[in-house]
Formats: sequence, structure tokens, C-alpha cells
Amino acid sequence: MSRQWLTVGSAALTPGLRHWLAPLVWLSLLVLFATGMAHLEGAFRWLEPDSREVIYRRAGFIALLGQHAMVVGIASLVAVVLGVGSAIAVTRPVGRDFLPLVSQLASIGQTFPPVAVLALAVPALGFGTLPIIVALLLYGLLPIVRNTLTGLDGIDPDVREAARGMGMTRGQLLRQVELPLAAPVILAGIRTSVTVNIATAALGATVGASNLGDPIIAGIINGNTAYIVQGALLIGLLALAVDSVFERLLRRG
Amino acid sequence: MESGRCEPNRVLLVLMLAGLFAWLSLDAVSLAPNRIVSGTPYRAFQILGGWPALALALPMLIVAGLAWRSSRQALRAALWGVLALLTLLPWWLVAASVDLVEPGMAQARVGIGASIWLLLFVWLLALIELRTRLELSRPLGWLLLLPVLTSWWLALTWGQAPLSLYREYQARSDQFLTAVSTHLALVGAAVGTSLVLGALLALAMRRHPGVRRASFGLLSFLQTVPSLALFGLLLAPLAWLGARVDMLAAIGVSGIGWAPAFLALLGYSLLPMVRNIYVALEEVDPAVIESARGMGMSRRQVLLQVRLPLALPIVLEGIRITTVQAIGLTAVAALIGAGGLGTFVFQGLGQAAMDMVLLGALPILGLALIADATISALSERLRPGGAP
Repeated sequence: MSRQWLTVGSAALTPGLRHWLAPLVWLSLLVLFATGMAHLEGAFRWLEPDSREVIYRRAGFIALLGQHAMVVGIASLVAVVLGVGSAIAVTRPVGRDFLPLVSQLASIGQTFPPVAVLALAVPALGFGTLPIIVALLLYGLLPIVRNTLTGLDGIDPDVREAARGMGMTRGQLLRQVELPLAAPVILAGIRTSVTVNIATAALGATVGASNLGDPIIAGIINGNTAYIVQGALLIGLLALAVDSVFERLLRRG
Repeated sequence: MESGRCEPNRVLLVLMLAGLFAWLSLDAVSLAPNRIVSGTPYRAFQILGGWPALALALPMLIVAGLAWRSSRQALRAALWGVLALLTLLPWWLVAASVDLVEPGMAQARVGIGASIWLLLFVWLLALIELRTRLELSRPLGWLLLLPVLTSWWLALTWGQAPLSLYREYQARSDQFLTAVSTHLALVGAAVGTSLVLGALLALAMRRHPGVRRASFGLLSFLQTVPSLALFGLLLAPLAWLGARVDMLAAIGVSGIGWAPAFLALLGYSLLPMVRNIYVALEEVDPAVIESARGMGMSRRQVLLQVRLPLALPIVLEGIRITTVQAIGLTAVAALIGAGGLGTFVFQGLGQAAMDMVLLGALPILGLALIADATISALSERLRPGGAP
């Protein structure tokens, strides 16, 4: 059972697509709207009859979606590597000294509002895409670190003892026992991290990154509801698609 | 652990060495003749021949030395050392501004540089580490910060250090107070309303499983929708309502302002609130209820005298999560004209005025931390069998 979720990618297609229905539906809706937004001009015209333009055209929706996904993707990937890595490091004998500080920091950091973290990154790092990636990365680390620590901590000491008794080395114990057992909790942390990052990245539009937040900000400034709906629709679908993938993975774990 | 008592505290050692490195090698302050121009950076040892900088470097070395043998007394001394550092730092800034600012520069601003931000971060980490190692209680930890804050306040008012952040505050202190109260009012309204609605919903859920499934589904769905998107989506329908219904327009409902902000905040607050209240009511041991009924209590008495007191800590936890979340979300609501501290953040970002961004972002951070600490302490106290 412990290994099941690791091989889920290949195994999922054989027992049936049914389990992956929700993520697939959200993803195809996302792609459909991102490519075909211009065809909905009639509907948006009805929503915003007074504006000259009703479709956001300063950048293509596919490009904006790509930017958004890329920023969140890079930040989350680095956050997973660093977060899981540091949580593992402080639970080994070498880094045990740092465990209390890291776990305190991870729980205090949870109370930092993401907007404030993003806003503080700009004076430190300047405008543009890089500060957003750094801010998302730092903020995304916390739930991952905390959940990895919780997951590793929750393992029954008897299980560790038994694995040791079977002659496992420390590395084997980590890879074959600890990580698989902690996987669902770690995955839940990654889910929180990614979901929050998708929402926070949209705010990046206010600090000079171009992503799906752009149409919303432009819409709020120009009083054009159609732009807002277009941005909000795509961000919402992206968030739901990613969340449903995690939902699926967690249910298997 | 017994043998580890006199081994070096490597955490503290690493932190202090990192602090020393930052203090020696990075820019400590910058001097700008006015608000618009970006400042000229100075390192710590360029100020007044470097003597004041030494006054901060030495205690750091001492604390690092104390960390070498981490007996309880050494750690306690280290705690006082770090507190002394935090108390001394604003006076170093006063010295720096006396040295740098010439009498003719009325508009001059002294900005805090990377070195000082890093020092503050590292020292606060050291405080957390020491508080954990010495097993001090949380309220005591906060109390220890009191002299530090007093010292900063004195340095700013009496020492008249023209710190750029403080200048920014002085320039708009009225606006700042309005922003803080708007922020708190929105958070309070959203949390209060979600508490009442959440309790009603949780009670309805206990009666009807259908309501439970539907509301949890809807609310978790809502929680996934990014805040900026939800605020944006509420603009249109509320603008429409405000334009069509005179009574709503009269109380200020329109596409921008408090109405969409409040509704979105309420939507986000309901899930953690309902979840916790529901769990709180559900998790009371049936045997306790049974014995209360056996003692002749009515359903109403059981609810008021048994269920609620037992449920209170979990409900408070819900209030804590909701409040902290709402403080952050209200900042985003500034984008749709709801006011609050987020206004400074987004205006500052628009004008590339970093002091203004900080003036918004730091208090938001502070409010979230204070709310978290206060409500945690309260629920700690109310937990049955918890601290008296």
C-alpha cells in the first residue's frame, strides 16, 4: 500500500479513467476557455455592453496561463525539494539540533499573510518575476516543512525498530519506510502550498509580473467586468484542476 | 539529552556568526536627501569611525562564545545578550543619523539596509531558539520584547532618528489610523458574522446529513477559488444590485468598497469556522452527554452547560484560523477599494514607494501575529485541564 501512490501515474490509466475524471474535466475546461475565449465575445458583450473592448487582448490567455503555471511550478518544485529536504535533514542525527527552531519557524510562518510576504519581497528584490518566485517559494516552504515534520514524527517507533531489526540501513529506512508512510501528510502539505501559491501568484500582477492576475487588475482599474471574469475564470479553473489532481493522489495514498 | 547539555548550541553559534557576517559585509543604512531619490548606502563600520558598530559586534561575539558551552546559565546569559542587542540597535541608528544627516537636510531619510534586516531576522530566530531551549512560556516571551519595543519607540521619538519608515508614518498618521481601524472593522465583521452563521449551519448539519454534504462541498470549493478572482467576480453582481435596488445603494452596497470585500471574506471564513464548530460539537464524548442526561439535565442544559464549554477550545481554534486568514485577505480587498492597510501596499507598489509598501505590509504581519498569539493564549487557558 505504501508504494501505491508513487506508481500512481502509470497505474491509474489501467484500472480506469473514471478516477481521473474530475481532474480531466477541469483541465480540459481550462484549456478550452484559454484557447477559445475570443469566441465568447457575444456573452461578454452582453455582460459589459458599454465597453469598446470586451476581450482582454494585451496578451494571449495561453501565454498568461503558461506564465502563471510556470511561476507557480518553479516555486513549488524548489519549495518541495528544499522543504522536504530540510525537514529530513533536521530529523536526522546530524541536524537534530535545528529541529526545534525549524518546527517553531514553520508554525509561526503559517500566520504570515501571503500578501504581506509578497509585498516585503519587492523592497528586498525589486519588481518582476523573480521576486514573485522567491516570495512564493519562501511562503510555500512552510506548509511543506511542517507537514513533512508531522508525517515523519507520526511514524510508530516500533515500525522503525522493526525495519532496523531487519537490517535496513538509515538510507533504506528513510526511502522504504519513513517517506512512504509519511507520504499522505507530505502530499497534503504540498497541496496547501500549491493552492495558496496559485492565488498569491495572481497578486504578482500588481508587482509587474504578467500572469492571469493581469486581466483582473486591468478590469478593476478600467471598470471592465468582462476582463475580471476572464481572469477570474481561468485562475479559478487552474486552482480547481490542480486541487482535484491532489485530491485524487491523496485518496489513493 | 543529559550528555548534550554542555555541547555547543550549534544553532545559536551559526545564527550569531551569520549576524556578524551580515553586520560586517552588507550595507547597514542608506541616506536619501528626500523621499523620491534613492539613497546612498553605508556600511556599519563607515559610521563614526566604526566605534558604535563595535558596540553591537562585541555582544554578538559574546553570545556566540556563550553558545559554545550551552549550560542553562550560559543560555540564560545569551538570552539577555540578544535582548541587549535588540535594545541597542535603534540607538546605533540614532548615532548613524547624527553622523550622516547634515543640519540643512530637513527632508532627509535614513533607510534600513539589508544588513539590519538580516540582523533583526537572525536575532529573532535566536530569541525563538533560546525561548524553546529555556522552556519559557509564550506570554513571558512576549513580555521580554517589551523593553525592546520601548527602546525603539524612544529612539524614534526622543532620539529623532529620521528613519524613512517612521517618516512615512508621520506623513500620513491620520490615514494610517483610519486604515488600521477599517482593516480591523472588516476582519471583525467577517469573523463575527461567520461565527454566528457558522454555528447555525453546524447545528443544521447535525440534524440533516444532506445539508452537511452540500455545505462542506460548496465551502471547500469556495476556499479553492483564489481571493483576487473572488473579489473580482463579486464586483459585477453587487454593482448591479447597488444600481437597481435603492435601499441597498443607500447603505453603501456597490461594486467596489466594503460590500464585495465583506461578502468574500465571509465566504472564506465560513469553512474553517463551520468545520471547527461541527467537529467541536460532534467530538464530545457520548458517555459525558449520557451522564449529563442521567443527572436530569434537559437537552438545552446539556448544550449550554456541557457541550459548549467542552467545545469552546476547538471553536476558538476556528476563530484563530479565520481571523489570521481574514487579516491577510482584507489586505487584498484594498484592490477593490475596501480600504485598510492593503491600500498602502498597493499604492506604494504603484508609485514604487517602498517605505509606503512597508508601512502597509509590516502592520499586516504584526496584526496577524498578535491575533494568533492572543487567541492561542486564550484557548490554552480555556482548555479543560489546561493552564489555570
